[in-house]
Amino acid sequence: MTPTDPIIRLENVYTAYEGSDRPTLTDISFSVGRGEFVVVGGPNGAGKTTLLETINGMLPITHGTATVCGHDVRNEGVRVRCRVGYLLQNFAFDPLTPFTVEEVVLMGRFGRIGLIRKPGKEDHEAVEKALHLLGIEDLARRPIGHLSGGQQQKVLLAQNLARDPQVLLLDEPFSNLDMFARESINKLLSRLVASGIAVVIVSHAFDDLPDCRVRVVVMHDGRISLDRECLPADVGQVDGRISLDRECLPADVGQVIRHAGSAPCYA
Amino acid sequence: MQGVPPAMLEFIIQNNIVCHAVEAMLFASISCAILGVIITQVQISSIGFTMAHAAFAGAAVGMFLSLNVTICAILAGVCVAFLIGPLAEKARVSPDTALGLLFGISMAVAIFFIAYMQTLGQGFSAMGLLFGDVISLYREEIYLLALISVVAVVFVVVLYKEITGIIFNKRIAESVGIRVKPVYYAMLFVIALTVALCLPIIGGLLIYVWLVTPAAIALQFCYRLSAMFLVAPIVAAAISVSGALAGLEYSLPVAPLTAVLFSVVFIAAVFLSPKRRVTFRKS
Repeated sequence: MTPTDPIIRLENVYTAYEGSDRPTLTDISFSVGRGEFVVVGGPNGAGKTTLLETINGMLPITHGTATVCGHDVRNEGVRVRCRVGYLLQNFAFDPLTPFTVEEVVLMGRFGRIGLIRKPGKEDHEAVEKALHLLGIEDLARRPIGHLSGGQQQKVLLAQNLARDPQVLLLDEPFSNLDMFARESINKLLSRLVASGIAVVIVSHAFDDLPDCRVRVVVMHDGRISLDRECLPADVGQVDGRISLDRECLPADVGQVIRHAGSAPCYA
Repeated sequence: MQGVPPAMLEFIIQNNIVCHAVEAMLFASISCAILGVIITQVQISSIGFTMAHAAFAGAAVGMFLSLNVTICAILAGVCVAFLIGPLAEKARVSPDTALGLLFGISMAVAIFFIAYMQTLGQGFSAMGLLFGDVISLYREEIYLLALISVVAVVFVVVLYKEITGIIFNKRIAESVGIRVKPVYYAMLFVIALTVALCLPIIGGLLIYVWLVTPAAIALQFCYRLSAMFLVAPIVAAAISVSGALAGLEYSLPVAPLTAVLFSVVFIAAVFLSPKRRVTFRKS
């Protein structure tokens, strides 16, 4: 794999949930390069989370090929997941959860450490670094269940950063965060993108995008209906729909709108 | 006696029967408590419950057919653990319903064979499966129990990282690159093995108390999983040994008495738990 090769490459991918008789993703061809920032939008049930789980090898690919970080997702799912950070949507831990913040962040390294082996000095250093990046060093010894939703979200993000990922997949990362936390995470994401990490986020908060070039991918009914690079200033939201500046839209925008249903519209 | 291995706690307890009973309860409680922490924290209590009753049914069938009771119990427990997923999928029912079905079938099979054996005049040995019997154990069986305690400890120590990941959240564990399925099935296998080996001592109706209560007591006081893995077996061992000594001293049924002691300690733990106290005071 050369540095210019896409770090995520999906070709004609179909995905289905176990027991389902119809595909959840249909004919997805999609690639992401190093240092690229992709924001995935679309209506509920469009397949946004499914796309992230397919990239991460957590869902069976029924047709097509997918490679992430040079590994075949279908056959080397565990290797892919050791190199990809994936922040899952909507997690809340109750006060009885018997784990401290640093234990949770250390879990992010477990796949890399491998079966049976114990975490070493390098792993604990990675945990400290991740906690520092998120500014939550002071929470390290606190039980995760005693934190607020936003703090728990930051801990899970730190868990993913501790893995030293080449790709970050974030599902609604801003959902529990206040305005200041969003701003600091956006700055962090900009830095990560500048350092060459590919970031793919599913988000409805299009007003809070990091200050870098973004690629907007709109999904509808398990298909990609729009894939376009923009500046953050060109992306917004009108009546719950993704709004792009007219200049950013492809020539066949009318057709896109008809196929996409609720998204996108243009300002 | 030539060829018979010595009792392990003979140097403390001279009476051979009491010594065997204490050893059996000690090892059974350690292995059950350690695995109980996993069962309660992964929230597979219903799987543990169903496996315990399947092992009970397997033992009853083994006894009826004059086969090795322990091996039959292990096979039945493991089969049920591995059947839950496919049954839920093929029958298009929720895993919870699948567990309910398997539990019902296990209990029906066990009670049928125990009742039938009673009509054949084998009722006494069959009833031992229901309530347990700490006195009539062979020394080899106690060594086997000691071995399963070691297996449970080694299993947790070696796979601690993976187990904590699965306990925290199975999906997050999978997303960080932990091989969840093999570890999860290994977990179920060790639980089935432990349940089957402890069944003759504790009995099919009470084994669940040994699996769940020590972990529930530990959870009242521990904020960290590592502490739970230490506190649960210590508490279980202390209660089980006390139960065995008291039961034998006052001629009471050992396993039911110990189960009652577990419940009393659990209730006390709930009241004494620091997790329910508000410690903040305005200065």
